[in-house]
Amino acid sequence: MSEITASHHLAEGTRATTPLLRRLSSLQPVRFLIIGGSIAILLALIAYPLALLAGYSFIDAHGNLTFDTFEKAFARRGMWQATLNSGWLVLFVTVGACALGVPLAWIVARTDAPGKALITLSAGISFVIPTFISVISWIFLAAPNSGYLNRLAVEYLGFSAAPLNIMSFGGLVFIEIVGVYPLVFFAVSAALNNIDASHEQAARVLGAGRLRTTLTVTLPLVRPAILSAVILVMLDALSSFGAPAAIGTMANFSVITTKIYDLLKFPPQFNYAAAVAMPILIVTAISLLIQKYAIRTENFRTLTGKATPDQITRLGRWRWLAGGFCLVVAFGTAILPVGALVLLSLLSSFGAPISLGNLVTKHYGLIFDEDFVARASIIHSMLLALATATVCATLGLVLGWVVERFRFFGREVISFLVMIAYGFPSIAYAVGILMGYVDLFYGTLTLILIAYAGKLLPIAFVLVRNGIQQLSTDLEEAARISGAGWLRSIKDVTFPLVRGAVGIAWVLVFSLSLRELSMSAILAQSDTQVMPTVVLQFIEDGAVELAAALAVIIVAVSLSMLGLIRLFTRKKTAVVS
Amino acid sequence: MSLPSPTPRFAPPPQVADRPRLELRNLRKRLGDTAAVNGIDLAVAPGESVVLLGPSGCGKTTTLRMVAGFLQPDGGEIHLDGVVASTSAFALPPEKRQLGMVFQSYAVWPHRTVAENVGYGLEVAGKKKAEIEAGVAEVLDLVQLSALAKRYPAELSGGQQQRVALARSLATKPSLLLLDEPLSNLDASLREEMRFELRALQKNIGLTTLYVTHDQDEALVLADRIVVMNKGRIEQLGTPEEVYRTPASRFVGSFVGIANLLEGEVDAVDRAAGKVRIALDAGDRLWSRAPARWLADAAPGSRATVLLRPEDFRLEQPQVPDQETGIDVSFLSESFLGSHYELKLQAGATPLRVQSRRRGSFVDGRTRLWARPGSAWVVA
Ligand SMILES: Nc1ncnc2c1ncn2[C@@H]1O[C@H](COP(=O)(O)OP(=O)(O)OP(=O)(O)O)[C@@H](O)[C@H]1O
Ligand SMILES: [Mg+2]
Repeated sequence: MSEITASHHLAEGTRATTPLLRRLSSLQPVRFLIIGGSIAILLALIAYPLALLAGYSFIDAHGNLTFDTFEKAFARRGMWQATLNSGWLVLFVTVGACALGVPLAWIVARTDAPGKALITLSAGISFVIPTFISVISWIFLAAPNSGYLNRLAVEYLGFSAAPLNIMSFGGLVFIEIVGVYPLVFFAVSAALNNIDASHEQAARVLGAGRLRTTLTVTLPLVRPAILSAVILVMLDALSSFGAPAAIGTMANFSVITTKIYDLLKFPPQFNYAAAVAMPILIVTAISLLIQKYAIRTENFRTLTGKATPDQITRLGRWRWLAGGFCLVVAFGTAILPVGALVLLSLLSSFGAPISLGNLVTKHYGLIFDEDFVARASIIHSMLLALATATVCATLGLVLGWVVERFRFFGREVISFLVMIAYGFPSIAYAVGILMGYVDLFYGTLTLILIAYAGKLLPIAFVLVRNGIQQLSTDLEEAARISGAGWLRSIKDVTFPLVRGAVGIAWVLVFSLSLRELSMSAILAQSDTQVMPTVVLQFIEDGAVELAAALAVIIVAVSLSMLGLIRLFTRKKTAVVS
Repeated sequence: MSLPSPTPRFAPPPQVADRPRLELRNLRKRLGDTAAVNGIDLAVAPGESVVLLGPSGCGKTTTLRMVAGFLQPDGGEIHLDGVVASTSAFALPPEKRQLGMVFQSYAVWPHRTVAENVGYGLEVAGKKKAEIEAGVAEVLDLVQLSALAKRYPAELSGGQQQRVALARSLATKPSLLLLDEPLSNLDASLREEMRFELRALQKNIGLTTLYVTHDQDEALVLADRIVVMNKGRIEQLGTPEEVYRTPASRFVGSFVGIANLLEGEVDAVDRAAGKVRIALDAGDRLWSRAPARWLADAAPGSRATVLLRPEDFRLEQPQVPDQETGIDVSFLSESFLGSHYELKLQAGATPLRVQSRRRGSFVDGRTRLWARPGSAWVVA
């Protein structure tokens, strides 16, 4: 090892480069280019369309600030009614999702009721299936006259009229509740599972009974989780488009999002659409602020571990009642709709009696037919999902790194911009994209890709950023000091260590792209149809069997992609442990 | 007494023949609204081991990270082997500095085996496979980890990970090795062992090191020279003996080792011998060495503070006493520490800590203390 003593002679050779070269290398051009490029893309994806949106609604043709556009937009026929409908929808869905999600979470996390695993599974399924697809199932089950449940009720249970009607405002509320209650369920049961048993034990030791402990200790501890979930549910209900569009067409009512969609039909009225989107934006902004300040400050919990046997409530006789409730929910929200969807996709025609002879595969045949619109939409959707997932995972990695590692003025602006895109209603965002890029990319898949990437970037960003946050800076610096340049340190150290998070982000973005409807409905042209828009078209045309067959494909691909996540999580633990 | 007086600022390195491996000139850095590093001058000679020692938050890590190139100074310059590496306007990226660094957290990459960790620097430098293998084997041998080359870090103990980190930093044969509290995550006995091992390694291979710690024992063992820092500035720069025996300030005196500070009044000055005699407020008089600069202004009647280490006291009058009657002290408490007793005493209102081989004998809780001749030192 005597060479170490002599090593500085070796060093001299390389150090003798000219001052100019040394100065250039200190700028680190690769790093500069990649980071600068990513920030530019971020601005183009999110800041630019949002600025246009605000501009169109507040500024008139002569460039003056005005509220005229609002007045005119809301003076249009049915606009107030649609706004009111949106309000009721949000209210009912939020109350319903909490009424369903909170008790279920408590039963699953804290009681000995049977059927707990079933609930977790069915909440997962509800979560994966987009509402425009569950609409298909429920048309099959509960359409006013031909729905199979209605026929069952009239023919065998002695009802004089059909008891269920999915094509109504009530039906819409029901479908939305089923779609979003998993948010409440998962958030609250995670929080319940994470409460350190000692908090509750401390109260018990001080003499509080079980009920009192639940009310004074447990509930306040999970309140932040409930509040965050409520906000997510409200935003989801407010910006939902798929189910309202499908049911609204048939039942003849509108909500804000479907009104925006109508305004963009030929001839598109951008400024009115932008103005109508503003209430959604304002509510979203307020909710996100509440989330940031009210809930963050309340986030005092010290959460660790898993519910201990001591925290499990023995329900005794009520056990079976709770189990029955679980079974009914699982059946009504997951088993029945999924079964109905598969059955409908195989049934020769909607309304035909369910018998083996009536089961056919001709709908799938048609879907894959080369001359039919569905086949192209599958290819488009797959291409878009691949591209979106890759763009989002890459951008998420670079931006996550920049925000976590790079100290410069305004780096917080990046996470702020990304989070705005997260809370932004898809339909309004799509309007912004349309205004910003329609001239450049009219009628191309690129236009849709821009929208998907901007809207789904937050998911990749948050996941990858969390991964980077958990990596000590030292790990990268150790690579730098060993002689690796910036890019190389990312490639050799950062990326391998956050590969799990990047992989999960890729898969999630892929599945979410496959089922994206609200933006696609606005942006897709006849040559750029994607699976969800074709499904919606089928529903509106009354071709529910075809809609079901295509929907089954979406659900199957989504579910198997999500199965991939297990693969990534397994790999990740192997590396980190 | 021929001990040189400490110079609080720049001191020439022991070997002046070679140009310094590292030179800091008036280095400054603000972080938030603290002046984390506030004007530091330092030169590290080839083969030298310099330790930055100071309390938490005094700017040690900040200094080290500027040397590594992870932080850019606000003012001043960093020279490596005589070439500018950082100024406020320019910073050579870390990978171009040919340094080694051992991190407090080890920063061993969990996804690479021990051999892959250690060989990384060579791999980046574009060495051939055989060369990398030979280099890795050599350093692993040096840190006694050859048997574990194929393991992943998760399968190693903390001490072994520490050695991997060290081996990785040595593999590229860096011109300067930076270490930021590398032993602070180890348990006490391992830390002590590693301390001596590191020192032996540093001497054997003639490594130049800049070592950061807030542990004075570590600093004393590892340093050729210690830089005592406080609030972003250098308080004293000198050999371990100088820093311990002739601290430049009260701060240094109390930070390195335990300090008994006794107040008194000068009653005689012997400039030729570099000594003053001080009448202590606690009673008795003693001769004390003093820094030259302080001595220049000293005159009978001026106030002075004398530093005595716990081991500098005797409980009985020495053969050749420095003092006449000894200091009258009262007993507070006593602890047995195996090799010696640690006594807490009080002289007037001044608390004293004294080490003694034997248990003291107290009459009515009082006894007399004598300072070891030549041990007292005036702190400015
Ligand atoms: N990112 C930062 N922003 C603001 N102030 C900082 C930052 N990092 C460090 N400081 C401040 O700079 C000063 C020096 O910090 P530094 O990390 O160099 O201390 P240190 O001597 O290494 O301490 P320790 O022994 O605790 O590691 C401290 O007062 C610290 O609070
Ligand atoms: Mg430090």
